Amino acid sequence: MSAVVTTAGHWRRATLLLALAGLVAFALADLSISRGTPGAELQRLAQGLITPDFTATDALGEALATTLAFAFQGVALGAAGGFTLALLWHRPGVRFFAASIRAVHELFWGLIFLQITGLSPLTGVLAIGLPYAGIFAKVFGEFLEEADPKPADALPGGTNPVTTFFTARLPLVWDQFRAYGAYRLECALRAAAILGFIGLPTLGFHMETAFREGGYSQGAALLYIFFALIGTQRLWLHRRLVPVYLLAAVLWAPPLSSGPDGALKRFLTTDIVPAPLRDGGGWAESGTWLAELGTQQALPGVANTLVVALAALLLTGVLALALFPLASPHFGHRPGRALAHLALVMVRTTPEFLLAFVLLIVLGPSMLPGILALALHTGVIVAYLTGRFSESIRPQRGYSQALTRYGYEILPRVYPNFLAFLLYRFEIIIRETAVLGLLGIPTLGFYIDSGFAEFRFDRALVLIIITVMMNLAVDAFSRILRRRLRLQTPATAY
Amino acid sequence: MRARQCALLVLVLLTGTAAGAEPFTFTAIPDQNESRLMSLFGKVADYLQKRLDTPVRYVPVKSYAAAVTAFRNNEVQMAWFGGLSGVQARRMVPDSRALAQGAEDRHFRTYFIAHEKADVEPADEFPEAIAGETFTFGSKGSTSGRLMPEFYIRQELGAPPEEVFERVGFSGDHSRTIALIDSGAYAVGAVNFKVWQTAVEEGRVNTDRVQVIWKTPPYPDYHWVMRGDADERFGSGFTARVRDILLKLEDKEILQAFPRSEFVPASNADYQPIRRTAHQIGLLAE
Amino acid sequence: MSAFRFRGETLWRGPTAVLSDLHLELNPGEKVALLGPSGAGKTSLLEALRARALRDTAWCPQNPALVPALSVFHNIYMGALERYGTLYNLLNLIRPTTYQQRQVGELASELGLVDKLRVSVDRLSGGQVQRTALGRALYSERPVLLADEPVSSLDEEQARALLQLTLSRHDTAVVALHQQEQALTCFDRVIGLARGCVQLDAPAGQLRRHDLTDLYQ
Repeated sequence: MSAVVTTAGHWRRATLLLALAGLVAFALADLSISRGTPGAELQRLAQGLITPDFTATDALGEALATTLAFAFQGVALGAAGGFTLALLWHRPGVRFFAASIRAVHELFWGLIFLQITGLSPLTGVLAIGLPYAGIFAKVFGEFLEEADPKPADALPGGTNPVTTFFTARLPLVWDQFRAYGAYRLECALRAAAILGFIGLPTLGFHMETAFREGGYSQGAALLYIFFALIGTQRLWLHRRLVPVYLLAAVLWAPPLSSGPDGALKRFLTTDIVPAPLRDGGGWAESGTWLAELGTQQALPGVANTLVVALAALLLTGVLALALFPLASPHFGHRPGRALAHLALVMVRTTPEFLLAFVLLIVLGPSMLPGILALALHTGVIVAYLTGRFSESIRPQRGYSQALTRYGYEILPRVYPNFLAFLLYRFEIIIRETAVLGLLGIPTLGFYIDSGFAEFRFDRALVLIIITVMMNLAVDAFSRILRRRLRLQTPATAY
Repeated sequence: MRARQCALLVLVLLTGTAAGAEPFTFTAIPDQNESRLMSLFGKVADYLQKRLDTPVRYVPVKSYAAAVTAFRNNEVQMAWFGGLSGVQARRMVPDSRALAQGAEDRHFRTYFIAHEKADVEPADEFPEAIAGETFTFGSKGSTSGRLMPEFYIRQELGAPPEEVFERVGFSGDHSRTIALIDSGAYAVGAVNFKVWQTAVEEGRVNTDRVQVIWKTPPYPDYHWVMRGDADERFGSGFTARVRDILLKLEDKEILQAFPRSEFVPASNADYQPIRRTAHQIGLLAE
Repeated sequence: MSAFRFRGETLWRGPTAVLSDLHLELNPGEKVALLGPSGAGKTSLLEALRARALRDTAWCPQNPALVPALSVFHNIYMGALERYGTLYNLLNLIRPTTYQQRQVGELASELGLVDKLRVSVDRLSGGQVQRTALGRALYSERPVLLADEPVSSLDEEQARALLQLTLSRHDTAVVALHQQEQALTCFDRVIGLARGCVQLDAPAGQLRRHDLTDLYQ
């Protein structure tokens, strides 16, 4: 008998590898439900969700306006910056720079800018705009790379590069840019809300208070308002209104700093200088300092981040495979799908950070709430994307049994896309896992938070750099695996 | 057409926001439920405003570190700090000074509280039996919720908390610590004795399930701190006036909400012990 | 401009030689038709010619290489980009000047596109797209026309008229065609490419239909 060489075999091996890593992670993870009575808390939460209290939050309008203002300005800044970087996308240095700034989570940027620009709108705008510039650069850069080069080539000889770009390059991808910008705005609204958790006056500020104090009715109302805001985006995000919204955003929350003069210099030349150097020590002391930081914080931080992320990745895969039929026209019936769709949209709209925060309260402290939150959020997204992709499949044979149809007709056809979506999301899972540390789960973010809490910004910065390196490594790993498996990269998954 | 109407509406709404005179701002470490803090410090702001004849605003923050950072960045000129956060703030803003503290803050305490499942009996001696349990502090930057309990844990059990306990957490604030012990999420915790007493008085904690197992020796804690450049900004003698108003504060409602019986003078030197302790356990770099 | 000369050169498309040992001379003022089966190297030869006289070339590639999202006006105007400053070009992209509107409009009416000026190219028929591409080449106002099957989607009548219009506006022209009839009636000289080399090179007046059929066997 000859050796079995099938494409499905490659997928199986890759799947097995990831599943094995996930299982090991689950074995190592701290999954205890330490809360004595999670049932009772869950019941209170459920009760809150069905009795939302829209009057409990003072200054709700302001919080809503600030959330929108941060999101609009952040996306504008990110798009402008990303666009500029995308023009230089052929340079490896630019790619590395863009990858690095997007590897730092909005919340970490927020914590950094709090030191420099204070509790000001500028902090909110920069915390969103900077990582988004990195994301936009990647996406714009790839759009431009994939755009048809022939129109530019056909221009008369001697046409200068600027003119060429605006007449024969940009118009080819303009529609894609616009659609992607609208999607990013949705992400930015989530990010702006979450920035409330570190004290900026957005919706998240009140959400944090409400859920932390057990005011679930108030929390539910805030959540529903947030859902409504994002759910209706198509209705209010009109192309011609964008400049008006942007102007309104700038007027409502002028992007000015409330930090003192020289705060940037202070941060760069004092705060983040490694303590031994600052105190006049030499490189030897700095080496010891770095080694200590590495063994006491970075190493456990990286290990825990990997454990949580890999466990979440496995659970994400399982969830997505189980749930995608809900979003696929090959299964179920129309009303069922509509309902499932609504549920998917709601889970997708809830930021994983908020989900983890609520689950931590309900289940008590361990890695479990973090893993669950990441897997739920990402699993639903991957299920949704996979389900949507399955629309393009025409079943060849009408297997009447749903499970047979699932296994023989649909799954083999969607599997490569499913795997691509999953691997693409891995980078994002790692990014989010690190930031869950702010909630007390001992991933890298926990130690970064300690650095900020103890005003040891030098430590925090080293740990943030380690987070970036970890992100870049995972990104590279996922890219290599995708190439090995010959998976198409779906831009919509980012 | 609809687009234009929307645009108009947005602009009209925005013109309502105009800036007034520069207000005097202060913050406080978020050591317990935010709704309590909002109502308490809202009242303090009103009280100060009436007597200072300057707009006064309370700036709520989400963490101890954020309170110190806002103070450092001159986004607030005064703050109600704990012992540790006050020391940290004065290190970063060298000419700032402690103005006043609550009478009780001269002899503050941390209570170690335990859920019944921990099976630790109350005692006068440090309860060594807590080793091996799960343990939660309050905020990472708290004096009563982190610094002092960690100091005694290291001293009595001879090792850092993460080696002594099965699991170590930071609840974020004292209200949350009580809630976490009450629910059994952690077996043992360290809590600000004032917040504990208020919670018991108001019946917000089930004392059958949770009890105080040990009280630390007294140490100096909460106090008001003013930036050194406040007089420059609000006129000479401003700091002295604020101090005077705080020391003479007799409003029962406000004092009860703190809860403190009265405010008494405080100086930077009063917090030397806190500074030393923080150095000892490595929370404060030399 | 000077003549184009090839002396035993080889034209490559990627790693494969398309035309080898090419000997060819094209003089200013000549109107040359290129014939040959697909894959014979017509496009490669045109590209090689363009590379030698980039700034003198009015270029009309086979894949029209227009910008689909932009209007016929803008796509035709693109022929003239190099004549104007960057700022003028960008402003004209946002808001066409009256002068350009008139100039491009005149050309468009000759091409039968006047009612499509404000329509984006992705909404045009194949014939209209070809006429737009020709318009872009014409609007560049260069002496040498290099065109690759520029009228293949038009009916015979239209094709001939348009070809004649285009040829009349250029000194020199090299046009790849698949319509043999047009090659004989509209051009001075016919070059036939097949099997990797020049199979036929003669004045159009001396050729008959059956001389050409060999090329396609």
